[in-house]
Amino acid sequence: MEQRRIVYNDGIVRLFIAASVIFGIVGMLVGALVATQLVWWQANLGIPYLVFSRIRPLHTNAVIFAFVGNSMFAGVYYSTQRLCKTRMASDFLSKVHFWGWQLIIVAAAVTLPLGITTSKEYAELEWPIDLMIAIVWVVFAVNFFWTLAKRREKNLYVALWFYIATIVTIAILHIVNSFEMPVSMWKSYSAYAGVQDALVQWWYGHNAVAFFLTTPILGMMYYFMPKAAERPVYSYRLSIVHFWALVFLYIWAGPHHLLYTALPEWAQSLGMVFSIALWAPSWGGLINGLLTLRGAWGKLRTDPVIKFFVAALTFYGMSTFEGPLLSIKSVNGLAHYTDWIIGHVHSGALGWNGFMAAGTFYWMVPRLYGTKLHSTKAANTHFWLGTAGIILYVVSMWAAGITQGLMWRALTPDGALLYPSFIETVLAIRPLYVIRLAGGLLYLVGFLVMTWNLYKTAASGKAVDGEAMVVDEAPSTVAVPSAGWLITRPGFLMVLAAVAISMLLGGASLKIAIGILVALLVLGEGAWLWFKSSKRDLTSPAWHTIIEGKPLFFTVLLLVSVLVGGIAQIIPTIFVPSAVPWTGAPQQPYSPLELEGRDIYVREGCYLCHSQMIRTLQSDTLRYGAYSRPEEYIYDHPFQWGSKRNGPDLFRVGGKYPNKWHYLHVIDPRSTSPGSNMPSFAWTQEWKVDTSMTSRKLGVMQKLGVPYTNAEIDAAKDNYRKQAELITADLATQGVEISWDRELVALIAYLQRLGRGPQFGPNAPAAALVAPPAAAPETVPAAPAAPVAPAAPGAPAAPAAPAAPPAEVPGQ
Amino acid sequence: MANTSEQSKSNIDVDTGHDYDGIHEYDNPLPRWWLIIFWVCIAFGYGYWIHFHVAGTGKSEIAELQEQQAEAVKRAANAKEVTDDVLTLLSKDPETTAAGAKLFATNCVVCHGANGEGKIGPNLTDAFWIHGNKPTDIYKTVSTGVLEKGMPAWLPVLGPDRVRTLVAFVITREGLNLPGKEPQGVRVTGGQ
Repeated sequence: MEQRRIVYNDGIVRLFIAASVIFGIVGMLVGALVATQLVWWQANLGIPYLVFSRIRPLHTNAVIFAFVGNSMFAGVYYSTQRLCKTRMASDFLSKVHFWGWQLIIVAAAVTLPLGITTSKEYAELEWPIDLMIAIVWVVFAVNFFWTLAKRREKNLYVALWFYIATIVTIAILHIVNSFEMPVSMWKSYSAYAGVQDALVQWWYGHNAVAFFLTTPILGMMYYFMPKAAERPVYSYRLSIVHFWALVFLYIWAGPHHLLYTALPEWAQSLGMVFSIALWAPSWGGLINGLLTLRGAWGKLRTDPVIKFFVAALTFYGMSTFEGPLLSIKSVNGLAHYTDWIIGHVHSGALGWNGFMAAGTFYWMVPRLYGTKLHSTKAANTHFWLGTAGIILYVVSMWAAGITQGLMWRALTPDGALLYPSFIETVLAIRPLYVIRLAGGLLYLVGFLVMTWNLYKTAASGKAVDGEAMVVDEAPSTVAVPSAGWLITRPGFLMVLAAVAISMLLGGASLKIAIGILVALLVLGEGAWLWFKSSKRDLTSPAWHTIIEGKPLFFTVLLLVSVLVGGIAQIIPTIFVPSAVPWTGAPQQPYSPLELEGRDIYVREGCYLCHSQMIRTLQSDTLRYGAYSRPEEYIYDHPFQWGSKRNGPDLFRVGGKYPNKWHYLHVIDPRSTSPGSNMPSFAWTQEWKVDTSMTSRKLGVMQKLGVPYTNAEIDAAKDNYRKQAELITADLATQGVEISWDRELVALIAYLQRLGRGPQFGPNAPAAALVAPPAAAPETVPAAPAAPVAPAAPGAPAAPAAPAAPPAEVPGQ
Repeated sequence: MANTSEQSKSNIDVDTGHDYDGIHEYDNPLPRWWLIIFWVCIAFGYGYWIHFHVAGTGKSEIAELQEQQAEAVKRAANAKEVTDDVLTLLSKDPETTAAGAKLFATNCVVCHGANGEGKIGPNLTDAFWIHGNKPTDIYKTVSTGVLEKGMPAWLPVLGPDRVRTLVAFVITREGLNLPGKEPQGVRVTGGQ
């Protein structure tokens, strides 16, 4: 038994905190800029790199990965060393992690405004940066697990369970969602298409919220809350139950982002019921946090750290109640695509993540600099500015979302849309956008006050690294139960059996389902009786206590828990027969021109304001046309369903307006849609498409399974020009001169193609035309004297809006 | 796991003896209300799944939509009669044309100009008509649109009542001969 003094690596913690604060300011400034543009579109100053749809991803990425990410790393590095009673395993890996992560952020800040994006939300970064993320994450994981291996604490504290969940799951999510095939250094296509791409993306998107914005922060809460309150954690067994319930259930909930869409209904139902089941496990963390304060509530008045923690947990409780609520299909039908969702994520991001970060910074910085917090008063000011900001933000977004959602679905007595003009519904909520901006700015001011306060605190002290006296104990001679023994315990087997039996409900008949329910009841009753009768020997460690001492076993168990849900949802959609649509006519791939137009659509981030998904809701079909079918998306690498309608859905916009309308609308949206807050994308009429890449793009698509023939790939450039000249010729008859190689021409071609699958072609079955005619142009007559034979896929499709037919000869 | 109240009293604030960097843990029982939420939400999930995906007693979202659409078709069939006479009569009713003017301002001015003088779409104030100038012709053009030329079908968007009102207003435009888009279509003799 030898006493030793160890010094923690707190330098890395100081770095992460500084980075978090700096990027927090940047991320929120960009947020304020995008919020401003929704009210005054001119705030983009006419600069392509500042336009809403390019910097909105910058805002989300900066806040999630730079601000919250760095704050989470600070908390993880600070607490892990202390909970393991050892310094981080490798100072070098810590440094690589820190600088690697900052490099990724800088790369994001450069590429996103340039329009280099995969268009998959919160995973927009292109493939070279995706690789960097994977490498840096592995570095983090190695450093972390190596530290666990060197720990002097036998068991892992609950905070570490949450960190393990984060590290393992984020790695899986990032890798699976980033399968993409490069076209060039800065362009790739998602390996998945359509429905499957949507499912994988929202499995990722939702669980990024779960395992990047929730679990690590809960872990930090479990460390810093009892530290600050100087009280024991309320309930150890609640920690166990809510941790495992949370990680197992969360992964299934992704499809709640895709309710009423073309995603198979069974997957939607799973997304909904698992989201509802998440309510209690989420609140387990809330209870354990707040009840830890019992006996220390007095500190709420005096200690800003506690203030921030309590408010953060309250906002966490609010958003984790709101989340299940929004996942109920009928509620979601109203709220989806509206600002209600924006309000929901900001009560989480500003309230939960922002305030947890602030609380932990106020706790750590004085200790990291061996001094006292510079000003408690300033911290309190920050608290009230922040709280007022969140309330303004969230309430205005609730009002905006519900108002707009109700206006979209309101009908006249004779069954038509009461507000047929989309602009009307935008103008109605404009004042609320001003209030939201004010709320966001208040929050930012509070954050700046914190920055000043933390800076003054650091300046008044001097960097000190935490130390501890530790005893290197001889390895325990007590036999540790083997993994085999652990997984054959009755309790564990019963849980496993319950899950396995429940899985049989997929595709079960009613009789089997009743059998399954009976079996579950018997199992539950049996477990209950067994639990009551077995007198636990309090001197021998319980099952969970044993696995807390076995990080590898723990990690494997966690891996299995999170994989079950993902596999159960993603694998079946691969086998959904979607290649042949219900009409029997094959879907046509995009022509070279349309494909290039689509890439411009992706680059400019059109999907951030326009969905391409007409839901199976009466109000959606009235407004936008026949509901979307899964097979209409099979060549969409990546999918463009969108998640927010700042403008109308575009899925069946093809053929709805003349080419000239689109030409005017892209250059000056207000010329065709007075009152619109859409930015001008005038540069697309100046910029030229690099058609030297077109063949290559078709080739990559072919590798991904899109049925282009080699001849079509070779002729891509020629076909591109032929189809483009049809459009420029049509525009010329309307008095518009534009060269065939301009981006705008390709964009128009893509827009005119949207939603015009084979079922809406000349030989459409009658059933397809039941849909409102607005969206189902029954015939697309070929242009007279069109110099093209639009038969083969890959060749130009029928021209979108033909030149004026002879009948329209002007009179004398 | 739930305890009777007597048991829980004795279970309150039992220290587990854990000490992680000075953090202690109690082993308090799971709050009963929390357990109720937990189990009820899970039971709901089983019930919902069986209702919709096993027993088939729940309506699929597409079936539900089709019902609503059938309902809408029925309603449309009951809509008031549309004849040349009715529309002409409406076009002479100032209240109707004022309402029609409002609809025109929201939905049509973008293509047909503020006063119907034409822009992307044709001039509605001259004597030249592409798809006929009988009130029922205009009603048909507005209702079903001319999709290949970019005129949307307004019936599903506005509904029969508002299309009639709008057409009543359009009728009042004819013959104003406002300077705007050049004439298109055929000159209609005997127009108003």
